[in-house]
Amino acid sequence: MLRTALLACLLALTGYASAVWLTHDFQVWTAEGARRLEVAQHPVPLPRVTVEGPGIAAQPLPALLAQGGGVTVVDFVYTRCQTVCLSLGSSFQQMQATLLADLAVGVVPNVRLLSISLDGAYDTPAVLQAHARTLQADPTVWDWVRVPDAAQQQALLQRLGVVVVPDGRGDFEHNAALLVLDDQGRLVRIFDLTEQQLALDYARHIANGGLL
Amino acid sequence: MRAAVAAACTPQRQVLAALALLVLLLVPALRLWLTASMWRHMVLQFPLWMGVGALLTAGLSPAARARVARWNAYGISGLVGAAAVLAVLMVPRVLDLVLVFPAMEAAKCAALLLAGAALRLSWRAAGLVVQGFFLGNVLPMTVVVGQLYVDSPLRLCNAYLLDDQARLGHWLVSVAALLAVGWLAQVAWWMVQRDAVVAPHAAQVPGPE
Repeated sequence: MLRTALLACLLALTGYASAVWLTHDFQVWTAEGARRLEVAQHPVPLPRVTVEGPGIAAQPLPALLAQGGGVTVVDFVYTRCQTVCLSLGSSFQQMQATLLADLAVGVVPNVRLLSISLDGAYDTPAVLQAHARTLQADPTVWDWVRVPDAAQQQALLQRLGVVVVPDGRGDFEHNAALLVLDDQGRLVRIFDLTEQQLALDYARHIANGGLL
Repeated sequence: MRAAVAAACTPQRQVLAALALLVLLLVPALRLWLTASMWRHMVLQFPLWMGVGALLTAGLSPAARARVARWNAYGISGLVGAAAVLAVLMVPRVLDLVLVFPAMEAAKCAALLLAGAALRLSWRAAGLVVQGFFLGNVLPMTVVVGQLYVDSPLRLCNAYLLDDQARLGHWLVSVAALLAVGWLAQVAWWMVQRDAVVAPHAAQVPGPE
């Protein structure tokens, strides 16, 4: 009986320890939660994938991010999307309006917006440009790019923890979010779609030299 | 009928069936099919791996069984271990992790296999009270997780769709309810039978006059 009690305690403890590890000490329950927590604790450097878009010559993504010398809020979209990408679009439109208002009063916000297509085969620069125009994206603050190489696109999505699932009706389901990247091309924080004000404030905070 | 089934399921055949099932579960195409949907992943693949473990225990020698039993009085360690495995595997993050990391998938399958073996080795020894305690923990947990999957407006796993998640939730609640009803029916049947055996003797006991 003593042996049984010992073994049962040991098994229960092992289960508890695995649960602690799995849930980051009971802070997160989902893979998405874990991804966001891990990114906040350890910024994720981007792979050197080549991107191109309307008005943007083919170049490595980290170089594009370093150009502005500021912070970039990134989302992943595809132009054929009819569901969640539309709400991403409106989040980005609101952030764009705030940034343009800043510019209008002479404040250089050092924050840019970047939409990256996860359907690089279909979303050519011309398609992206047409889509950007329908969303009234202003190229002074909001850029659109695709990753033309399929393998590189996959590598980028994987590094950033973006999971794309075909929904069987010709659309893709993906864990859409607002990704904040610093000027060194590192993913530093992930925000919910609806948290655009928080994401923008955070981006402005680190663009002005604030601590991560 | 019962004796015929028992005679057909020789330990050797059970181990062979376990090995066949194991090989089948390792076939990449079948593995992909089982994990491609959230409900098949949890309601089909999980029990199949537990089944492999349960069938494999038929191959244990009586000496090995006795050694295991010394560490497993009333089936307590086995049921605690199985409950721990099932509880940990209900964390939604697991379903995403095992799709991405082969080592996690291997650990998950090994844990399920061991849980299945532990359940079979412990169930008889546990008796109704310990069995009831085990089910009283595991089944409500399954129902709560299932209801959570049904009600959640958010996708809890990045790799699966929302309607798939709701379907899994309904499955988990149904399976838990079925297991509870099945166990209670078995207990009722067992008590009726016991009373049928005890009652004639009780009639012969002289009254207090």
